[in-house]
Amino acid sequence: MKNFKLSIYVLLAASLAACKPSIETPAPSHGSADFSRYIAVGNSLTAGYADGGLYLEGQQNSYPSIIAKQMQQVGGGTFTQPLFSQDQANGSGYLQLTGFDKTTGAPTTAPVTTNLAVTGQVTIPGFGAVTTYTKYTGTDLNNYGVPGIKLAHITYAPYGNLNGFYERLLPGAEGTHTTTYLDFITAKPFTFFTNWLGNNDALGYATSGGAGDVLTDKATFNALYSGLMTKLTASGQKGAVATIPDVTAIPYFNTVTVAAILASVQKANPAVQALFINAKSDATAAGTAYAARPATANDLIVLTFPTSKIGTLVSTPAGMLPYGLTPYSPIENQYVLDANEVTLTKDYVTSYNNTIKSVAASKGIAVNDMYTFLNNVKAHGLVVDGVNLNAGYISGGIFSLDGVHLTPRGYAIVANEFIKAINAQYGSTIPLADAASYRSVKFP
Amino acid sequence: MRKILLLLLASLPVMAFAQGFQVNLHGQKQIGMGHTGTGLAQDGASVLFNPGAMAMLPDNYIQAGISPLIFKSGFNPSGTNDAYYTKNKIATPFTAYAVWGPKSSFWKLGLGVYTPFGGLTDWGNEWQGKYVLESLNLKAIAIQPTLSIRLADFVSIGGGFVYNIGDVDLQRAIPLANAAGADGQARLKGSGHGYGWNAGIFFKTESGITVGIDYRSKLKTTINNGDAIFGVPASLATSFPQPNTFTASIPLPSTTSLGLGYYPSSRWTLAADVNYVHWSVYKVLAFDYAQNTSALQDTYSPRNYKDAYSLRGGAQYKANDKLFLRAGGGYASTAVRDGYVTPEAPDANRYYFTGGLGYKLAKRLDLDFSFEYEKLLSRTQTNIESQLAGTFKTHVYIPGVSLAYHW
Repeated sequence: MKNFKLSIYVLLAASLAACKPSIETPAPSHGSADFSRYIAVGNSLTAGYADGGLYLEGQQNSYPSIIAKQMQQVGGGTFTQPLFSQDQANGSGYLQLTGFDKTTGAPTTAPVTTNLAVTGQVTIPGFGAVTTYTKYTGTDLNNYGVPGIKLAHITYAPYGNLNGFYERLLPGAEGTHTTTYLDFITAKPFTFFTNWLGNNDALGYATSGGAGDVLTDKATFNALYSGLMTKLTASGQKGAVATIPDVTAIPYFNTVTVAAILASVQKANPAVQALFINAKSDATAAGTAYAARPATANDLIVLTFPTSKIGTLVSTPAGMLPYGLTPYSPIENQYVLDANEVTLTKDYVTSYNNTIKSVAASKGIAVNDMYTFLNNVKAHGLVVDGVNLNAGYISGGIFSLDGVHLTPRGYAIVANEFIKAINAQYGSTIPLADAASYRSVKFP
Repeated sequence: MRKILLLLLASLPVMAFAQGFQVNLHGQKQIGMGHTGTGLAQDGASVLFNPGAMAMLPDNYIQAGISPLIFKSGFNPSGTNDAYYTKNKIATPFTAYAVWGPKSSFWKLGLGVYTPFGGLTDWGNEWQGKYVLESLNLKAIAIQPTLSIRLADFVSIGGGFVYNIGDVDLQRAIPLANAAGADGQARLKGSGHGYGWNAGIFFKTESGITVGIDYRSKLKTTINNGDAIFGVPASLATSFPQPNTFTASIPLPSTTSLGLGYYPSSRWTLAADVNYVHWSVYKVLAFDYAQNTSALQDTYSPRNYKDAYSLRGGAQYKANDKLFLRAGGGYASTAVRDGYVTPEAPDANRYYFTGGLGYKLAKRLDLDFSFEYEKLLSRTQTNIESQLAGTFKTHVYIPGVSLAYHW
């Protein structure tokens, strides 16, 4: 009997200690690329901008930092970002979701105004006020993402004085900067790069409703992009570029719709037939004529449009009239990317993307086609690890509260798209990141 | 304008649930012999394996056994070097049988209490598939009163009514982060019951081979008014009303078995079984919530299982009057089609080996040990519903012990 007792103990012990099934993961390989010093070139998306601001948590979840973390398994080096300090973790400030309106269910947001890194405002002659931030003092830098930068800015020497996010990376005092972005990013040697510049060349125009900014000329874009890529690959470096998303694929333009506004107006006043907007008369860059006309589903209202303006009486040559409801009191240009402006923007984005793809092809550089990817997300949604994602505002899970930039989960998905493109181009096996471990929008 | 927005939350993917969770641990002697027993009259476990064989048992039995089950599964998401493993949790399938009839009578009464289905899987709340499943604890306990009648020296029949109690506790993360960035949690917890039957016939042929055929019916188990507990950020509480309940119905499939017993010498018993499990009854898994909102809809999740079979073989060697050695093995096909594999029991074709020891503590008292190792073939899948993609590998370790008194 003793032996049997013993044998049951042995059996139990053996089974409890039983080895886990062995998981054989593919051997990591860097393929034909060298990831030892990776730099990220780009704008706000590259910096980790989210919820209408640049702040520490966003920086820590930037897509380049996620890529770099995964690259470390295939020979990637350390990746340094110009992080805000813990004391100033809220950086430029950002939007926070505070709840939902009890009657309408609409989300409400409020700006975060504590623990900022803002150091002041400086008036630059001929330009205007520039907000400055606590300088990044580290000596190492891998993430060169600068919110707001356009491709059109990269060879402009005084640019450091006009953009506080760039200014904080540069040594020297505000007002005295003369280093172009192109020179800045290529000053130190690197072995691998990602480049996602060009969004703002179209987005600046689009988000201002075609009123506050201009589209970068197509030929200028082509010349600058070629020059940028020539310099980035000057020592045979490899890298990946991304195309520019269709600006109409983002919630900034698809959340507040003409139909939704009209429906809510008609609830109060069923006689209202249409909204009126001040729309561009043609779809050319040169055309400057605008005229009022009824809005259609092809006219995109910006997310930041204050809907309370609708119906308020405004002074017009024809007298006091309700805002947005007559041809004499149309919704102002800056709140609408009208159908012609949409057509114009799409045309430019297509041209920019053709440039990006052809320049990348000529240099044998990987292309992450975010244009196609985000259009697919908008059309079909995306299911990742049991999470249903789409291009919707807040509920979609990919876009942050500003409707343009991404949530950490959105950035992780972008990082994985870069990784797939890199692996396909260079035969590397950078492991994908776990998008499920990154959050979407935070709810109170 | 944000005022007129309707908040549409990332819709809940349907609850993953229930697959490959048939438990086949129904008697230590039978486990030791590769789960054969339909064509044998070994002991009280005939209540389950083949009620038809009960009347052929030379003795009356009262017995109980337990088979602690350690389910070890690992997951490697596609395109990554990550590996996630289930936690060490021990499920405890058990059996208890009683068989009684007047000595040398043509009939016997039986009662069985056993665990026909179950599953215990805990992946934790930090793994890549947490939005699909964190943990599942599924238990079914069947109670089966049974009558068996010997029609002639060479043939007997038997049948029983099965009352099944099911209990489920399922947890998963909801992709709604709170202010601290932590996920929401969903928990579905409830119990229900179902009915079925078990009937069989047993022959002793002139060649000395014994033959058994058994049919265990479907147990349609319905969980009514289970608790649907959702923990979400406060601002979304109205979208996930609490308290809430759910109703779900799971068809536990019927099993048809054919078994043979062969006795080449007084020391040897050889057995073989073929089982056909009618899993194709499991078409969908639907959860009906008592309170629905735009964010919390009833779910209707296709499962489309296919019928599965298993082939089993085993042997018993009587070393002396007190000691019995047993060994066996088998192969079972998966019921889960490609694209439908989920983490609650990542099913795949599997094979297994078993061993056992029987010892007569006294003339009327048997002590039996069993051990089983099951290996599920590794399966690389992208789930159609969740898009969770990767390779599952699973091993199962099952020691067991039972005590049987017979007179």
